Formats: sequence, structure tokens, C-alpha cells
Amino acid sequence: MKRIFIDREKCDGCKNCTVACMQAHRATPGTVYDLDLLDRKNEARHTIVSDGKGRYTPVFCRHCAVPDCVGACMSGALKKEPDTGHVQYDEKRCGTCFMCVMSCPYGNVKPDKATRSKILKCDFCKDDPEGPNCVRACPKKAIWVEEVEVL
Amino acid sequence: MNESCYGCSTCASADKPLEGFIAGLPMETSHHRVESQETKCGFGLQGVCCRLCANGPCRITPESPRGICGATADVMVTRNLLRAVASGSGCYIHVVENTALNLRNTAIEKGKFKGPGALERLCKLFGVSGKDDYEKALNVSNAVLNDLYKPEYVKMDLVEKMAYPPRFKVWKELGILPGGAKSEVFKGVVKCSTNLNSDPVNMLLDCLKLGISTGIYGLTLTNLLNDVLLGEPEIRMAPVGLRVIDPDYINIMITGHQHTMFVHLQERLTEPDVVAKAKAVGAKGFKLVGCTCVGQDLQLRGAHYTEIFDGHAGNNYTSEAILATGGIDAVISEFNCTLPGIEPICDELLIKQICVDDVAKKANAEYVPFTFADRGKQSEIIIDKIIAAYKERRPKVKLNLLPEHGYENNLTGVSEVSLKKFLGGSWKPLIDLIVSGDIKGVAGVVGCSSLVAGGHDVLTVALVKELIAKDIIVLTAGCSSGGIENCGLMVPEAAELAGPKLKAVCKKLGIPPVLNFGPCLAIGRLEIVATELAEAIGIDIPQLPLVLSAAQWLEEQALADGCFGLALGLPLHLGLPPFVTGSKVATQVLCQDMKALTGGQVIINGDAKESAELLEKVILEKRAALKI
Ligand code: SF4
Ligand code: SF4
Ligand code: SF4
Ligand code: SF4
Repeated sequence: MKRIFIDREKCDGCKNCTVACMQAHRATPGTVYDLDLLDRKNEARHTIVSDGKGRYTPVFCRHCAVPDCVGACMSGALKKEPDTGHVQYDEKRCGTCFMCVMSCPYGNVKPDKATRSKILKCDFCKDDPEGPNCVRACPKKAIWVEEVEVL
Repeated sequence: MNESCYGCSTCASADKPLEGFIAGLPMETSHHRVESQETKCGFGLQGVCCRLCANGPCRITPESPRGICGATADVMVTRNLLRAVASGSGCYIHVVENTALNLRNTAIEKGKFKGPGALERLCKLFGVSGKDDYEKALNVSNAVLNDLYKPEYVKMDLVEKMAYPPRFKVWKELGILPGGAKSEVFKGVVKCSTNLNSDPVNMLLDCLKLGISTGIYGLTLTNLLNDVLLGEPEIRMAPVGLRVIDPDYINIMITGHQHTMFVHLQERLTEPDVVAKAKAVGAKGFKLVGCTCVGQDLQLRGAHYTEIFDGHAGNNYTSEAILATGGIDAVISEFNCTLPGIEPICDELLIKQICVDDVAKKANAEYVPFTFADRGKQSEIIIDKIIAAYKERRPKVKLNLLPEHGYENNLTGVSEVSLKKFLGGSWKPLIDLIVSGDIKGVAGVVGCSSLVAGGHDVLTVALVKELIAKDIIVLTAGCSSGGIENCGLMVPEAAELAGPKLKAVCKKLGIPPVLNFGPCLAIGRLEIVATELAEAIGIDIPQLPLVLSAAQWLEEQALADGCFGLALGLPLHLGLPPFVTGSKVATQVLCQDMKALTGGQVIINGDAKESAELLEKVILEKRAALKI
């Protein structure tokens, strides 16, 4: 399966990946020029964590081999897809209990800020044949996609 | 240079032979660097990255809707835009200042005026006179300089004399009549510093004000002053493309916008003793090879320079390729469009770089500052250095010419004066064609080439093709002209590409469907044409079925020019937004509300077909309003 890897040494906190993620998941069609950067509905699905001393850690969903979020989800809204190995979310089945948010050891699932009625998580840009937009947007090559063995 | 493959990743070009040539070069150009710069910062694209203080860079996201100081997206965007427009205006004001100074000094020294008609015209416009041409030129140049040096709180005198009265009225009502042009740049820069102005609309109005001073002085008057010293444009046919480089001569490429700095040197280069110097080292003499806007200007006035000027080789992003032919022996720079990217190529091919104005001092150029009093001495220094370079480099450098590139028979020398003369001394024939619908409308396609709007000249050339196919005649100025002519749209045979009605008009007159007014400065000439057309019909400029496009706008200067277009009330198409879309206020004012203020409007679209349709729609609306 494919997974996003990070090299925190290379990340300079430019948040270009964040804009790309927002653009990739916006509800309305359009270009990055008219992406509403103030609209919470366009929230990104990852975070860039700063240590306050000029170093950054890009935090992306690991699509874990044994995902705690999936294990915690009782409604079946989160599933590890057998063919891709990616953890995907089905909003329609979600009970908004936020057990997944509590259980992800990396803090990668989050309630959406606009409505607090669903969760937001990385879907590996499943609708884009070119793969994760964040990865393509990173000028520092601090994040990349790699094929890994599933245990 | 290293051994990596330079040809694998060049950007596309509308000019396919050029694209192939660049892809095959053994050295790197801008066209090769597009790919490695492909990842663009989304905040920067929207204009919401603020670096004005040590708190920054601040960026706008849903979690951080304000900068640390409290600046909103609207404030960040308009501050950044005003900075850019002030800087662009400053560039053009520098050009007109030096041009006026050179005219003034020529008058004092009783030098030669190649365009006496232009001098009379300026005297009439300004309402000044003098006992002879020298005094007249002195009074004209002083009138310009006096205005440029006024403080910001004193309005310039020539604005009312130069502007179309209905426009002047609108500007006065909006409170955007400019004070001294240099001071306006200063004011603009002050206003957009940190923690000063935070009123986006107020800053946008300043952009219009800077647009007016840029347009009237930096663009229009620079042309007219140049006409006095360099000679007026005359319609003629001329070759374009890399084909113009003749390796039998010592070839000099000049880059910039301040042509009056070359008057003396240019004259010297054809004098027998200097030609003899060239012959002594094995060349037939000297030639100037046109490149960027200064080349467009030489081409425009080519009737006066047949002996020294070889032709126009290409525009801004063709300059690296022109140098890479090895056929150029020296580059003399005096202003912008002198890409930093030419430096390693000049080093590798032993091309001598000389700079005559330190605003364009290149890292590896020798600085021979132009001062009017010392021009004789400086010309000799420059000539000797170039001869030495020629002798040194020619045996060592392998030529890689492209003699088939470009076109032989391009219509050039078009100006507001020569075009009117061509039409029989009045605009009536053109107006009649517009009224009858044989010409649906007029599009001014101006600006530079940038490499990211589809590639080198890609959007510009495609848009022009779409426009002429819709029977819209295209007038061009700027580096876009250089690209359009290298793609064959300015030869009379290009009439075949026009729609049936425009094609018939072109065939009857023996002209191409795209008329080249020359350098970007000549955007001022296009705007004179617009004014004179409006005057002849008895309407205001925004009512004309006329649109502007800077499809591949590149620089801050283009933004200042664009603000003039908006102040004139013209619809202005841009292929890429000018880093403003992060602000809802700026976008709303520029694309919508401006229509109620000046009549102007920004239209942003990166697709040639769609853009042409949008511009056609505007033209049809204006036609309908005029009941034609
Ligand atoms: S959300 Fe957390 S637990 Fe679930 S797959 Fe991603 S990283 Fe693993
Ligand atoms: S919030 Fe939704 S996805 Fe998360 S555990 Fe609860 S039901 Fe499952
Ligand atoms: S784009 Fe790359 S460098 Fe920039 S914040 Fe994201 S991971 Fe870091
Ligand atoms: S001026 Fe304000 S918005 Fe700009 S960097 Fe400083 S604090 Fe941030």
C-alpha cells in the first residue's frame, strides 16, 4: 500500500501542502486563486506542527496497518479498504461520537470546525488519479509517497 | 555549465521553432527553469502572504484570518498591490525623466532633432512656444520635468492638457488627479508600509492615481519625447526573428527602455572611422540587433536606422536564445527586461556586458554610466571594449544560428500618427468600418511574455488568433508584439487567419490583422488612438467597442499600466490574476465596482477561447449601447 512519509528536517512550515489539501477537498469547483482561505469548510486534513523554535513537523494520517480509529469506530463509518489499505470515512454512517478523534495516537482525525457534525481525515486524495495533492505541492520534498509492505 | 540534460524540460512556446532551438541548447535558460519552479505558494498566489514586518510572514487561513498586527486579507492584498503599482510607476517615471533630461540637454547643446513634427505637436499640446526649435524643445522638456518634480500636494499641469476632457472630469470627481509623479510613487510606498493605511478602497484609488501619472508621463509622453529625438515611426516592412542576426558584423544587443541614451553611440557606429575599426578586426561593421522593447522601438523607427539596425530578433524571454546563438558580441543594458538569466550565458560565450544606467547594473557587466556631457568619451570606450570582445571571442565561440527563424515581411512603424496618415489623414475610414461591422471591435493586446500562462507567448498568440477570427482587429505593444510577430501574425498573409470580414478589409488595404505599435511604452500610443477615436465619434472612452488584454502580464510595470487602462475606463483582460484574489474587496472593486467608478473592469481568464468570447461579449455590449 501507499503511504505518505515525512522528513521533518526538510519542512520549512510554508503550509503549501495545507493550501493544496484545502483546494483538493473544497466543495465548489475552482482554482487555487479563488479558493476561499477564510472559509472553514475548506479545512485541510493534516497539520503542520511548529515547535516554536523554527522547526516543523508535518503530521499526516499514516493509514495505519492496524488503525486505532477504525477499531474505535462502532458505526462502521471508518474502514480500512482492503485493496488500497487506506482508511476511508463514510459520513453517512458516522454517529458523531468522536471516538476516532480520541483514539488516533497521532491526532490525525479531527471534528470538522465548520459544523462539528462530522470528522475530517486524510482520504489520500482518492478522487485524484495523481495521488496526494499535498505531496505534489511541497516545494521542499519534505513529504512523499512510498509503497510499503503490509504486515 | 554541468552535463545535465538541459533539453528535457523546457516550457512550451507558441513559437515552435524557437521551442525546439531552446530545447536543444547546451545551456540553461528561463525556459528550463519553469519546471523546477512549478510549485507555487498558494498564499503568495492569492496575495495574502505579508512580509512587511518582523512578525511575518503572516498568512491567511480559517484559523488565522488576520495577521499578528490585525491586518485582514483585504489589507494585505491591497497593500501588496499598491506597493507593486508604486514600484511599477517608479520604473516608468525613471524612463520619462531621463528621456526629458536627454531632450533638454540636446536642446541646450543645440543637437539634432529627428522629429520636428513631434516637437510641434508637443508645443501645441502643452501650449508652449519658443523662438526656435531649441527653445521649443527646452520649454517642452522643462514642462515635463517641472511636473515630475512637483510635490504630491501640487497637481501636475500637463494632465489636463493631455487627457481627454470627459476622462479628466471623472478623475477629478474621484479625487485621483495625480500630484508630482515622483512624489506620488513616494506617497504610495509610504502608505502601504506596516501599520499605516488599512483602507483597501482608499489604496485601490491610489493605484488608479498612479496609473494616471504612469500612463500620461511614463507611457504617452515618453513616446512623444522620443519621437523628437529619435524620429517618428513610419510604416514599412521589416524582418523579425533570429534570422536578423548577421554574423559578418559586430553585433550589439541593447536591452531596456531608454533609447535616447543610445543616440550618440548609434550615430558613431555608422561613421567611417568606427566602421574602419570594425573592418580592421575582420567584421563588415556594426549592427544593432533588436531585442525586448528597445528593439521594438528601433523597429518602429526603423525607417531612420536602416543602416545600423538589423531587425528585431525577439522579445524578453527570447533574449537568452538570441545570445545562445553566439552571434551577439555585446549586450548594453539600461533598464528592465534584462534578465538575470543572460549573465551565465554571456559569461560562457564571452559576450561583453556593458551597463549604462546603474538601475540595470548586471552582476558581470562593466558600468559605463551615461552622462550627457561625457557621451562622446563614453561611446568611444564602449566601442573599443566591444571591438576587443569581438576579437577575443569570435575565434573561440561556435555559432549556433537559426537563420530560418521568424518572418521577412512584417508590417511595422505603426503609430497614432502614421496609422492616421495611412488611413488618409482621418480616423473616419476606421470608424466607418467599425460602424458597418466589417471590424467588430478593437483589441489592444499588450504587455510581456511570461512563462507560466501556458508557456512562452502561448496564451497571447492563441488569444490573438481567436480575436482576429472574430473580426476583431488587434493592435499590439510591448514584448507581446515580439512574440506575435515571430509567430507570423504580422505579415500581410496573416489576413487568411482573420474572420471573413476583417480578412476582406486587410486584403483590400494590404495589411495584417494585427498592427504592431512597438514597445510597451507604445501602450500610450494605443491609448491616444482610443482617445482620438472617442473624440471623433463624440463619446467617452468606455463607450468604445475597445478592449485591452495583457494576457501574459509579467511585471509591476504592467500593473501600473493596467491601472491606467482602468482609469481610462477600459476593460482589461489578464491571463493570470495579479495576486489579489485573496481579498474579496479587491476582487469585487477591480472586477465589478470599477465599472461604476471609471467604466473599467478587470477580466481574469487563462483560456484563450473563453477569454476571446468574454472580450467579444464586452465589444458586442458596447456596440449595442452605441446602436451599431
Ligand atoms: S487517523 Fe490516526 S489511527 Fe487512523 S489511520 Fe490515520 S494515523 Fe492511523
Ligand atoms: S465520530 Fe464517526 S467516524 Fe469517528 S468513531 Fe464516531 S462514528 Fe466512527
Ligand atoms: S508544503 Fe512541505 S515544507 Fe511546506 S509545510 Fe507542507 S510539508 Fe512542510
Ligand atoms: S504587517 Fe501585520 S500582517 Fe504583515 S507581517 Fe507584520 S504583523 Fe503580519
